[in-house]
Amino acid sequence: MTALRQSLELGLVLCRTCGLAASRASLDADWRCPRCRSRIEHRTPFSTEKTLAWLIAGIVFYIPANLLPVMHTSGLMGEADSTILGGIFEFWRSGDWDIALLIFIASVAVPFTKFIAIGLLLLSVRNNSRWQQHQRTALYRIVEFIGYWSMLDVIVVALTSALMQFQVLGTAEPRAGIAFFCAVVVVTMLSALSFDPRLIWDRRA
Amino acid sequence: MPANPILICRDCDTVYRAVPLQRGDVALCRRCDAVLARYFAASVESGLALVCAAAIFFAIANLTPILSIDIAGIETKANIWFAVRSLQQGWISVAAFGLALTTFIIPAVQIALLFWVLLFARIGHRPPGFGPIMRLLHRTRPWSMTEVFLLGALVAIVKLANWVPITAGAGIWAIAALTIVLAVLGRCDPASWWSIAPAVMT
Repeated sequence: MTALRQSLELGLVLCRTCGLAASRASLDADWRCPRCRSRIEHRTPFSTEKTLAWLIAGIVFYIPANLLPVMHTSGLMGEADSTILGGIFEFWRSGDWDIALLIFIASVAVPFTKFIAIGLLLLSVRNNSRWQQHQRTALYRIVEFIGYWSMLDVIVVALTSALMQFQVLGTAEPRAGIAFFCAVVVVTMLSALSFDPRLIWDRRA
Repeated sequence: MPANPILICRDCDTVYRAVPLQRGDVALCRRCDAVLARYFAASVESGLALVCAAAIFFAIANLTPILSIDIAGIETKANIWFAVRSLQQGWISVAAFGLALTTFIIPAVQIALLFWVLLFARIGHRPPGFGPIMRLLHRTRPWSMTEVFLLGALVAIVKLANWVPITAGAGIWAIAALTIVLAVLGRCDPASWWSIAPAVMT
């Protein structure tokens, strides 16, 4: 088995847009990919700073997303504001434990997993850690994969509000919490996309 | 002959010499298990067929109701665009924008751009704007949320079925079909399209 080596040691760089392994010598001054002309970056610039900034924004937005109501319903059974956690609780009590679990995973478990996982990745990269590099890379891929499923609740609220338009019988309207929740999904995705997993494997002196 | 003679792992930057892959083969990084390459059989023709199918399903999904409720003759309907419209309320509209972008605009743009690229590849020309198009396809890839919309529609059915007579329309089947077609196209990383007709593309 030959030794595994990183790109720059062999005079190569990867274009992440088109997947070309370009020879470093062939690049012009501004590092444009010879095939697709996009800018090649050996490592994402300011990766950890950007990841951290978006992560903090996500955690901040997550607070009003949970405290503020996401939907307002009115009808024969009176008026009510519901929050994400309140909605999950309602489903659980009415016996729809499967839907309760699904929304819990998408709206609570996934965002928390992302906060903790990205925090852990940032901390370990900062400490130049050699600990569990393989598992940490897998963790990064999980964060990347689960990211957008949190949009579920935004879609459910939007569809419910679009359908429940029966003046007296019942109406549903979106409330501010859902906008914050949408923001959480977007900025945590930006956080994960800003993270460069190759930092896990880099050895800095 | 592999399309890229040298492969570099996206996740750990390890360099490999590519080997020819057989049907069903996936090349994994020895160090971090990332997928380096998949066996890629799609031709320009099959790619074009898939994109056309995606465009048709996308049209059906947006022209027919995905869900509808009928109470005593009053009917309400919902599809992707109705869902977006229902979020347009004061500053909450930022969520409407997010939803429109991820479930309508980006999937539509991706289908249109892939159609453009493959159409030109089919007639043996380099597509005008090829570089910027490939960059845009690469950038928008994580932001297409058709499958999440499908799951959201299913949750909405179960959620509302306890209270009101809700029915799924033709749109939900179109969304389901679109999800599958986009997944097949998505497995072909835009990078793979470079390998279809190297002579044409470069």
